[in-house]
Amino acid sequence: MTPSPATHIAFVVLAALAVLSGWRVFCTDSMVRASFFLLLSFIAVGGIMILLTAEYLGVAMFFMMAVEMMVMALFMVMFMMNPAGLNPMKMVHQERVAIVAGVAVFGVLSAVAVLGDFPDMPLPAEHAPVISLGRELLGDSMLIFETAGVVLLTTMVGVVVLSSRHGRYGRADEGSIPPGLEPGGEPAGQPKESEEEKGEEGGHAHQHHH
Amino acid sequence: MTLTTLLVLAAALIGIGFYGALSQQSFVMLMMGLELMLNGAMLAAVAFWAYSGAGAPEGQLLTIVIMAVMAIEMALGFALVVAVFRAKQADTTEALSELKQ
Amino acid sequence: MILDQLILPWLLAWLMAGLGAYLVAVLDRLMASGSAQVGSVWLAPLASAAWLMTQQATTTEAPDAPAWRLAPALYLALAAIGLALVPWSPTLVGVDLSTSLVLWGSLEALATVVIFLHGWSANSHLALIGAYRYVALGLSYLLISMFVLIGVALPAESLRLTEVVAAQASLWHVVSQPLGLPLFLVVGLGLTFWGPLNLADSADLSGGTAVERSGPPRLVWALARAAMLVAFSAIAATAFLGGWMGPWLPGPAWLLIKSLAVLVVLLWLGRRLPRLAPERCLTLMWVVLLPLSFVDLIWAGAVALWMA
Repeated sequence: MTPSPATHIAFVVLAALAVLSGWRVFCTDSMVRASFFLLLSFIAVGGIMILLTAEYLGVAMFFMMAVEMMVMALFMVMFMMNPAGLNPMKMVHQERVAIVAGVAVFGVLSAVAVLGDFPDMPLPAEHAPVISLGRELLGDSMLIFETAGVVLLTTMVGVVVLSSRHGRYGRADEGSIPPGLEPGGEPAGQPKESEEEKGEEGGHAHQHHH
Repeated sequence: MTLTTLLVLAAALIGIGFYGALSQQSFVMLMMGLELMLNGAMLAAVAFWAYSGAGAPEGQLLTIVIMAVMAIEMALGFALVVAVFRAKQADTTEALSELKQ
Repeated sequence: MILDQLILPWLLAWLMAGLGAYLVAVLDRLMASGSAQVGSVWLAPLASAAWLMTQQATTTEAPDAPAWRLAPALYLALAAIGLALVPWSPTLVGVDLSTSLVLWGSLEALATVVIFLHGWSANSHLALIGAYRYVALGLSYLLISMFVLIGVALPAESLRLTEVVAAQASLWHVVSQPLGLPLFLVVGLGLTFWGPLNLADSADLSGGTAVERSGPPRLVWALARAAMLVAFSAIAATAFLGGWMGPWLPGPAWLLIKSLAVLVVLLWLGRRLPRLAPERCLTLMWVVLLPLSFVDLIWAGAVALWMA
């Protein structure tokens, strides 16, 4: 495989895009923006995979990550007080240690990349990456692939159990009072006493939609 | 586009992701750091597949497995965040200090 | 190399997007028979486009500037990428990727992101509700479309659109997989939020994600939706109606005729189907149409095994 000049140019552009957008993830004011910067980084890496002739993996990256980052952005809006980035936001701890650790990891890994002696076995001239991947997935490595499927199914069950408020015997948090937002404060997210009795009948029907 | 440049790019992505995973207080931003690290790992796997694996299909399989790991990480991560938020109204790592004692 | 790898796909995609969007506007006006027509059917779309071009592009108080500016253009770009994938004949293909069917699927996923950004970036509540609504519905459209497209890829033993067409030499998929085309048309109406499935930009949200749009960006957004509808009809004609295949006429002519037929059916459905409330629509998608797409996939697999 001898890449053409156009491939080199495309690689440089995509590589710059991947690193820049990956870096912007952690220094933007809006969580939604951060998750879409991460999506941009994934798309750039997917483009590089297509340049490397891994056509299925590159394209799979696009749709997997588009849906994942979409869900992530929705969670951002749910949890964050400042989803739209109207105020500056910087929520970091041990920042200096983290910067040093990040640079150290980059240094060590790129030293391995530069100094390491890897076998030079490029792709054969005529090979079909999609067909060989398909044969591998449902041939020799079928057990691994199916295990991944079963683990995903287990995850789905586990996630529903973890996030569902309803058990077999009614609400899991029946009678419990959430802690206050600050120590010793009012219970957070609870309606006032008088409203609670009124809201009780409607409460069950509404839960199913969440 | 050589194996070395691809691996340095992957190292840069992993480095940035490591910084994010260590420094961010919010659970969701922390998970973004983890995802960025996995992004670099996938790129390195495909680079090795193309330049020093002679196109062995197991290289592509590894990337598919990493994608599955990402999906699992995200789903379980969000379920745990939702559970913690319900129990403690907490969305940052500092708010969980019970295991410190 | 530059000619057939860069300029040809570019020309094919933008010609289809521009002419197709104009055609959508004309056909939609022709179908709205009964209501009073102002001026010529052929000139009215151009007139309203020219009017939008002269209007000022207003903005909200604190929009998310990059996303606010880029979202309509990105949606148009997704439609153009989709149009570049369509094979016009065995040799005349804009982009002949070996996974073009999967790339089309990922365009649908990216469209969800772009539509969300369009509504979210305006920083206005009706637009945000439209965006959330679309995300809730968009995930179900995606799943249905994936299963239907896998069913199309099975007999071809390939993810390449040219080979999907070649596999229909003896029998078109619209006959051998009777559930596929109707499901795909529903997805098409949903993804471009057209007609009854227009829940993201609907009138009950006084324009949904586009409520704050005016002037040229609004024109681009309308153009992008129409171009996406054209891309859907071209892909449906390729995947289910045998693409370029047909007697007497050359391949590109057959593809044009078939895409036009699908487009007319889509616009007619958009005018005739009843509207559903968003939550009922979601139930319909997950409880009725998604299981139907499973049935379609099993059927397609069984037929492919039997024909092989």
